[in-house]
Amino acid sequence: MQMSSENNIIVVRDVTKNFGNVRALCGVNLTVKRGAVVVIVGPSGSGKSTMLRCLNVLEKIDGGSIVIDGIPVDADSRHIHKVRTEVGMVFQSFNLFPHLTAAENVSLAPRLVRKKSQKEAEAEALALLKKVGLADKANAYPGQLSGGQMQRVAIARALAMRPRIMLFDEPTSALDPEMIGEVLAVMKDLAHEGMTMLVVTHEMGFARQVADRLLFFDEGRVVEEGPVVEVLTKPRRPRTKEFFEKVL
Amino acid sequence: MMISYLAEQARIFVDIFAYLIPALPATLAITIAAFVLAVVLGLLVSLARLCGLVFLRWLAKAYVDILRGIPLLVQIFFIYFGLGKILHLDRFAAGVLAVGICYSAYLAEIFRSGIAAIEKGQHEAALSLGMTHFQVLRYVIFPQAARIIIPPSANEFIASLKDSSLVSIIGMRELTRAGREYYSQYFVDFQTWLAVGVLYLIMTLGLSRIVALLERKFRVHGYGVAR
Repeated sequence: MQMSSENNIIVVRDVTKNFGNVRALCGVNLTVKRGAVVVIVGPSGSGKSTMLRCLNVLEKIDGGSIVIDGIPVDADSRHIHKVRTEVGMVFQSFNLFPHLTAAENVSLAPRLVRKKSQKEAEAEALALLKKVGLADKANAYPGQLSGGQMQRVAIARALAMRPRIMLFDEPTSALDPEMIGEVLAVMKDLAHEGMTMLVVTHEMGFARQVADRLLFFDEGRVVEEGPVVEVLTKPRRPRTKEFFEKVL
Repeated sequence: MMISYLAEQARIFVDIFAYLIPALPATLAITIAAFVLAVVLGLLVSLARLCGLVFLRWLAKAYVDILRGIPLLVQIFFIYFGLGKILHLDRFAAGVLAVGICYSAYLAEIFRSGIAAIEKGQHEAALSLGMTHFQVLRYVIFPQAARIIIPPSANEFIASLKDSSLVSIIGMRELTRAGREYYSQYFVDFQTWLAVGVLYLIMTLGLSRIVALLERKFRVHGYGVAR
């Protein structure tokens, strides 16, 4: 069941965000269609992570508006709660709960928030761990897992809440190179299944293979956006050109 | 001559211990009651120090600073002779209240720093899954903070056992008071205080052993650090 009939599941208008004197976001506008996979790139400090964190209200915006699946992101705690259950997030540092097993990590929120029974939540957790290729690690603690495995558990944990949107904040930046592939593979599957995804990453290969659109962020603004191949091969803004020249 | 001296000493000690041991339950009762109060108050104050309301944070900090800045002995007097007279508190209640409130300030600091030590990412991950602040604290933060909090809290418990001796000053009949009573009746000062010291030592050493076992229990598990 869809919350709104609009095709734009994320609508961000003129969003500003300050941290003290620092202007992290200076008027961001972006819209994301249902089922789209959007990759966000840019130099560090450009505000890409901040933008992502505003979408699930880990940061409060100072100006502008955000509407997620028809729900306005404002001070209303019911709205905040609704948005957080509809939007899943995967962090650069995984943030798994170290005192719980992988399966318990995945089943905790469905039990507490969606009020699922222990058995139901466990069964779903096992199914999700199987999906990310870690069924055999269900009873392992995060301390016993590799970085790539932890991130895959983190993805399963976010998916357990059946979100409509998945946000990825540099999901592979803290991983050893050999483990990046296994995480990207899970993300690619997710994309092919039609999940709406916003991914902040430096992995251009992933962007090329899976993403619909590429957004280039710099100094708190969306400098350029468009279909992935177009932005990568024919960037229009000089800043974009400059960035890709150095990065690619 | 030597044997009769030792026999005499042994008789004295047996007499002393027989007098002191019935006072042990009172010492334990004060300590446990006070510590339970301290834990409950300490938890509330630590959460107040971490919450979003500036006024509550300020109030909680003042609470901790004041209670940690005044000697417990003075606080006992204040509560028994001051507050206690207004509220008609008996010695036990005044003693428990004084020790409990004083120690709640120390525990509040321990709890607060334990909770704050859990990195922000844990809180954020839990919130992003849709959990309420209460659920985050109860299921994600506290279980992790417990590892950090329990050893110093257990040490505070042992300290409060020793500090319960201060309640003797308002006439509460616990172990130290019993020692004073015996001494003032029989004048065997050295032996009396040796016996009192031995009894406190047995209790504190026993508790320390239990704490060590608890610490070991929490270290097992394959429990990684939150990365």
